[in-house]
Amino acid sequence: MSRALALVTSRGGRAASLALLLLVLVSFPGWGGDYWTRILTGVTMWAALALSWNVIGGYGGYISFGHVAFFGIGAYTTALLMKPGTGWNFFATLPVAGIVAAAVAVIVGWPVLKLRGAYFAIATWALAEAVAQIANGVGFTGGSSGMSLPINASTSFFYYAMLVACVLSFGVCYVLLERSRFGYRLKAVRDHEVAAGSFGINTTAVKLQAFALSAVIPGVLGGIFAYWITFINPASVLDGSLTDQMVVMALVGGLGRISGAAVGAAVLYLINQQFLASFGDTTSYIAVVGALVALIVLFRPDGLVSLFARGNQTRLVWQLLGRAIPRARPSAAQRPGKTKEHA
Amino acid sequence: MSVLEVRDLRRSFGGIEAVAGVSFALEEAEILGVIGPNGSGKSTVFNLLTGVVAPSSGDIRLRGKSIAGRKPYRIARAGIGRTFQIPALFTNMTVQGNLYAAIVEGDWKHAPERAAQVLELMNLTPVRDELASSLSGGQQRLLEFGRVLMRDPDVILLDEVAAGVHPTLRATILGAVSELQSQGKSFVVIEHDMELVRAICQRVLVMDAGQVVAEGSFEQIASDKGVVEAYLGVPVE
Repeated sequence: MSRALALVTSRGGRAASLALLLLVLVSFPGWGGDYWTRILTGVTMWAALALSWNVIGGYGGYISFGHVAFFGIGAYTTALLMKPGTGWNFFATLPVAGIVAAAVAVIVGWPVLKLRGAYFAIATWALAEAVAQIANGVGFTGGSSGMSLPINASTSFFYYAMLVACVLSFGVCYVLLERSRFGYRLKAVRDHEVAAGSFGINTTAVKLQAFALSAVIPGVLGGIFAYWITFINPASVLDGSLTDQMVVMALVGGLGRISGAAVGAAVLYLINQQFLASFGDTTSYIAVVGALVALIVLFRPDGLVSLFARGNQTRLVWQLLGRAIPRARPSAAQRPGKTKEHA
Repeated sequence: MSVLEVRDLRRSFGGIEAVAGVSFALEEAEILGVIGPNGSGKSTVFNLLTGVVAPSSGDIRLRGKSIAGRKPYRIARAGIGRTFQIPALFTNMTVQGNLYAAIVEGDWKHAPERAAQVLELMNLTPVRDELASSLSGGQQRLLEFGRVLMRDPDVILLDEVAAGVHPTLRATILGAVSELQSQGKSFVVIEHDMELVRAICQRVLVMDAGQVVAEGSFEQIASDKGVVEAYLGVPVE
């Protein structure tokens, strides 16, 4: 078992696993059937949404409870651009949806990212509520009656649209956060903002860039989602529970880890759909999620992905929750007799 | 021209004047010690020099150019590096990651080679893949000093850099300071360890209640009655 795990987690093994996964995903509509294709469409959407939250939450250290605002903004942007009289091509609306969401993130983020911890969380929650109230109140969004979009009944169309958006999101985030200076900048700001500044890092710019990146993804996904469900209103695309799902998926999968969002989304969305299929509603699913989150925070603070990863356990969860951080156990390399000196 | 020049620097927090008119100059390749009792304003001076706190008044000039009130990242890029009284590590990053993060706005291309050198110099190579938070207190101080070395600034501010460090590793830090001094780097060192101050500092400032109360060589300030009074809190007979 451990040898198999080592093989999968080796560099070559990872690349081969990823290629195999992509092959399965691309060919899935051909052999998976409509029901499972729709399920997988949901998984890919939630994986990218959880990733977007992980950018600002896990990598940036800012708990956002207003991420649904960007999803809703994207959905309404696409709906408004596709409505009769405007008639934009669906694909042309998606970059606009992402840009509008990012622009809102920058405008709101400028003052709000000066806040920390619970204050930032409350401010972002207020942003989402404000956007929902605006969507409810203004005429051009249709208010609570919502807006209809042209109908496209092709299951595989939306599957591939979500898949491409998801793969692009993961690819861009992986390069930016794990393979570039930007990732070091952001993680430095997350861990100690004052120290980051003392190394020449423009902390305000880094936080704004991260917030904008984390808004682009739900903006684009909101656009795809709107066209998929063909009718949107504040209750369907600006409900606060959507943010809760992103947070929980990122946390259960693994904060501050690219793969965490995918694992968390896959596990929780599949459980959710299983409850829906078995019991007709997802009320009891909430209890399961609560228990799972408690178990993760207590016993696997780095999320489910840490079950398959070698190396160190961070304490991001504790840090984000503002709890006293338990001191890490010294590693093998640090125990007496392993280092040259022990201060 | 002095590398760093501080003129009548002041900073108040509410009704308390934490720094009340501090002036000094730091010369090229000089190590300037700053001593004083707790709460005398030493670390606040560092925070003013690095832009963490903006001065209420006064001026700070780095190679003749005013940097007072600038953003911390601009001051860092201008050539001032620092350590913190309580190590300010990137705790969820590895030791090596901390070193990389320190040079992210510098010579990024050569970060791996530079990090390998610093790890070796600081005796941190065996723990390079460990999280910074899992290091001992002494190792954390070494890592913090190592991060400053990564950036290679002209002026280095060390805030109790050797506190709690094993004597052998302390020698490593002091050796590195001397080496950098010989390369023309200038240091301002806050320290409570008088042996260390005597060993490395050419000049010493004594602070009390936000002001410089004495200045001179270690021998001069050690025999200054005002300094002894400031430290012991009682008039010397």
